[in-house]
Amino acid sequence: MQHIPSATSVRKPHRRFGIVRVSVYMAFLLIIASWIYLFIGEQANLAELFSAKNVRYAVQFLSGLAGVGVDHPAFLDIESWKRALALTYQTLQMSLMAIGFATLGMLLTVIPASRVVAGGTESALLRAWNRIVYGLVRAMYVISRSVPELIWAMMIIFFFKPGLLPGAIALALHNFGILGKLCAEVVEDLDMRPIRNLASSGASKAQILIYGIIPAVLPRFLTYILYRWEVIIRTTIVVGFVGAGGLGHEFKLSMSWFHYTDVTLYLLCYLMLVFAVDLISAGLRRWMQ
Amino acid sequence: MSDTAMFAMKQVSKSYGSAYTLHPLNLHISRGELVALIGPSGAGKTTCLNILAGTIEPDAGLLHIAGKPASSYASGKHLAKAVGIIRQQFDLVGSLPVLHNVLAGRLHEWGFGKSLLSFLFPQDKHIAADALNRVGLSDKLYDKTSHLSGGEQQRVALARLLVQQPQAILADEPVASLDPARAEDVLAMLVRLVQEEQLTLVSSLHSVHLARQFFQRIIAIKEGRVFFDLPTADVTEDHITDLYQLTAGHGMDER
Ligand SMILES: Nc1ncnc2c1ncn2[C@@H]1O[C@H](COP(=O)(O)OP(=O)(O)O)[C@@H](O)[C@H]1O
Ligand SMILES: [Mg+2]
Repeated sequence: MQHIPSATSVRKPHRRFGIVRVSVYMAFLLIIASWIYLFIGEQANLAELFSAKNVRYAVQFLSGLAGVGVDHPAFLDIESWKRALALTYQTLQMSLMAIGFATLGMLLTVIPASRVVAGGTESALLRAWNRIVYGLVRAMYVISRSVPELIWAMMIIFFFKPGLLPGAIALALHNFGILGKLCAEVVEDLDMRPIRNLASSGASKAQILIYGIIPAVLPRFLTYILYRWEVIIRTTIVVGFVGAGGLGHEFKLSMSWFHYTDVTLYLLCYLMLVFAVDLISAGLRRWMQ
Repeated sequence: MSDTAMFAMKQVSKSYGSAYTLHPLNLHISRGELVALIGPSGAGKTTCLNILAGTIEPDAGLLHIAGKPASSYASGKHLAKAVGIIRQQFDLVGSLPVLHNVLAGRLHEWGFGKSLLSFLFPQDKHIAADALNRVGLSDKLYDKTSHLSGGEQQRVALARLLVQQPQAILADEPVASLDPARAEDVLAMLVRLVQEEQLTLVSSLHSVHLARQFFQRIIAIKEGRVFFDLPTADVTEDHITDLYQLTAGHGMDER
């Protein structure tokens, strides 16, 4: 009698392991087959990548960026630097607006978006209402984060004058869903023991929020917010391409007018910005421990 | 009778699903008593303590806490003045300073405004400092709570109870996650503080040895029933062996 359950419990993981192993083999097989197909079937040629024509274009582009043969390269011009730094500052503003909007949206929705075991005193009607709101907010998160920033920006440019605000809104829309999901999970993973203990030492719901929930949740919220801010600052350049302002917009214009030394200048400013934001973010995170 | 009774249970029972977790139970604990609750795991000790604490409601029976029916306590704030609870070491908010965790014992006295103010600018600091002094942690006032050791965290929880000033303390395996030396230390401190404040203490314990060492009365629970309820001096080795003896149909983990 005792052997039967143990026998099935041994066989089960075996079968599951088998499926995993087969899928891994299949994946390898597919990869190898597609390489063989590329080389033999399509006669792809790695050497073509380095053909004389391609090399010539690359050299032309790079010397353009370096300002070879240009009388007044933009990156040696004070006025151009001033303009580029102003754009950099605008880009920083855009990223701050974006993370600000996304955070605000997240904070307003994160509680209904998390299945927190409440006291169990609420009525059936309230429970049903909570479940509906939960579903709606979660659906909003999914839609918001599954549309890439670029697509949001292209849609929003229809309604707004091109500029910083539509860029910030597009970035905020995408990041709202991501922050919402991450932070709702933080709330769901909350350790309930300290909270139950606060309740049994006589704390009210509002007092529990201040003393139990916010201190436990805030450091992890801030970590996620800072991390998304770093990502946003890198994405500003992409939404800029479709007219959402900042460094990205000017970068795109300079590219299309073949002002390569301007491109160099904007790239330099952009790198500085990304570097500065990473430093600030790391500093803040260390300060929080 | 009700003047001297801290807890009085009459035919109190509780079940999850079909089987009784606690069979109808009568229990009388007077003010100032030190009672240890022992028994195999799954016997119903935690359930019993939670009923005494008013945190779970019994299915049937009557419970009086400090002379009043448990149902007459209008809110957690009133209950907190009668009963304080300490469990294993995970009951503190780790990201807050020790000071805030101790002052949380005042929350039942404070309104929302004062609580918020105190979160930013701690109020009644001398009360917390006094309490921490009594548990030997006066130098840890501003330390982050999660940086403290398990034993220190339990002493912070004791300081919170001192600040809360209940009439009775219910302890659920308060030293289960500590090493033996630390466990004895923390339990000795708990018992000393309870005696100094003239409180009542009911504590469930894993260790029979600690129960004998610190408590006047031992209540043993087995499979949801009182197995024995005796003054410590009358508890024999046979009682203990019988208590932890495996009975048919029960798992190996009950020791
Ligand atoms: N919330 C619950 N739901 C279902 N069963 C429970 C619940 N709480 C306790 N039990 C059951 O009640 C019994 C007693 O549990 P407990 O009081 O925690 O025992 P002890 O503290 O003595 O180890 C156990 O068999 C446990 O599985
Ligand atoms: Mg227990």
